[in-house]
Amino acid sequence: MNQQNKFVSGLAALCAVVWVLAAIHPADRQAWILENLLVVLFVATLALAYRRLQLSNASYIFIALFVILHTIGAHYTYAKMPIGLWAKDFFGFSRNHADRVAHFGFGFFLAFPVRELLLRFGGIRRGWSFWLPPAIILAISGFFEILESIVAEIIAPGKGVEWLGGQGDEWDAQNDILSALLGSLVMMAGIALTSRKKSMR
Amino acid sequence: MNRSRARFGDNRFLQIALVCYALFWVVLAIHPVDRSDWFLENLLVFATASVLIPTYRKFQLSNLSYALILLFLALHAIGAHYTYAKVPIGFWLRDFLHLQRNHFDRVIHFAFGFLLVYPMRELLRRSAGARETWAAWLAVAALAALSSFFEILEGIIAQIVRPDLGIAYLGTQGDIWDAQKDMTAAFAGAILATLLLLSAQLHRRNPTRA
Repeated sequence: MNQQNKFVSGLAALCAVVWVLAAIHPADRQAWILENLLVVLFVATLALAYRRLQLSNASYIFIALFVILHTIGAHYTYAKMPIGLWAKDFFGFSRNHADRVAHFGFGFFLAFPVRELLLRFGGIRRGWSFWLPPAIILAISGFFEILESIVAEIIAPGKGVEWLGGQGDEWDAQNDILSALLGSLVMMAGIALTSRKKSMR
Repeated sequence: MNRSRARFGDNRFLQIALVCYALFWVVLAIHPVDRSDWFLENLLVFATASVLIPTYRKFQLSNLSYALILLFLALHAIGAHYTYAKVPIGFWLRDFLHLQRNHFDRVIHFAFGFLLVYPMRELLRRSAGARETWAAWLAVAALAALSSFFEILEGIIAQIVRPDLGIAYLGTQGDIWDAQKDMTAAFAGAILATLLLLSAQLHRRNPTRA
């Protein structure tokens, strides 16, 4: 227990350092605040729930990786992320795809803790435990796209998809959700393949 | 449990419900407004049937669940016949409430969440082994997921069939937030049905309270 406490506080400290560095001179302060609202709520929930609900170290590593990825993306407001701009020029994409990578990362990294939660607390059988996490990721992604559209209408009415990270893609919502779904499916396939190997031994 | 072993031959309720739906479906399959759109919309029906019929012998839902599924499919048959954007009652609703567009499709998205959350919950409870409260809220998530997945599929089909028209090809009727609103309708339906079910259960357990 103590061992895990140390490990989790180390991860939290690492995230905090990255977060503070990224909070200095973000590309757009208003967008930065909006991007960070949900993450701060999410991390605060995990911290408050920690006494009653402890996930495995692997789950916390995946959560920390997603938080760091998103923290960096929020600093550059995604559409201006340097590595995405570089990929845009290099591969000749029509837009900066850094946000799609983050959506994929959301599905990939968070499907693992969701599966653990379902298996340990929800009583879900193993066979179903590979299909319900992608379903939950899809549901949260859809909910996020709804929230995003409401925020867009409040802050920049009429500008619509353009104000969001849409960058001219009218299928932006669908593509974002699809990225998250693919991420979660890759993670589930990874777990299915590696855990099968273990049971064969 | 007797219920899970009941044969289709003995289940008079399901036989009658299925015949009613089949008759309704056949009537609406005659001269739809747009045959190719009707066919696309009916892929959903074929997919549902190809899952529910082969699994019937191994895993049966309750009659209530099957009735809810058939009711949803019957509503969908009306939409498919009239290509959703042209359903007469939707026009009447538009004029009556002074709306911008024919909202029949939103009503059906709502019904998708509202009617199907109970069968989904039963499936998660009995097949996936979910604990009771978990099953109730996982069912909401599962329907939200299906609704999101449907919007992705819709987007892919639109890009294949008419790439030049973009989102206008769908039943968006000029609404850029169409996908988000469709999903909201389904989420709201699923959450409302779940809250009603939970309050009914609370009431049954503690009839003296409230």
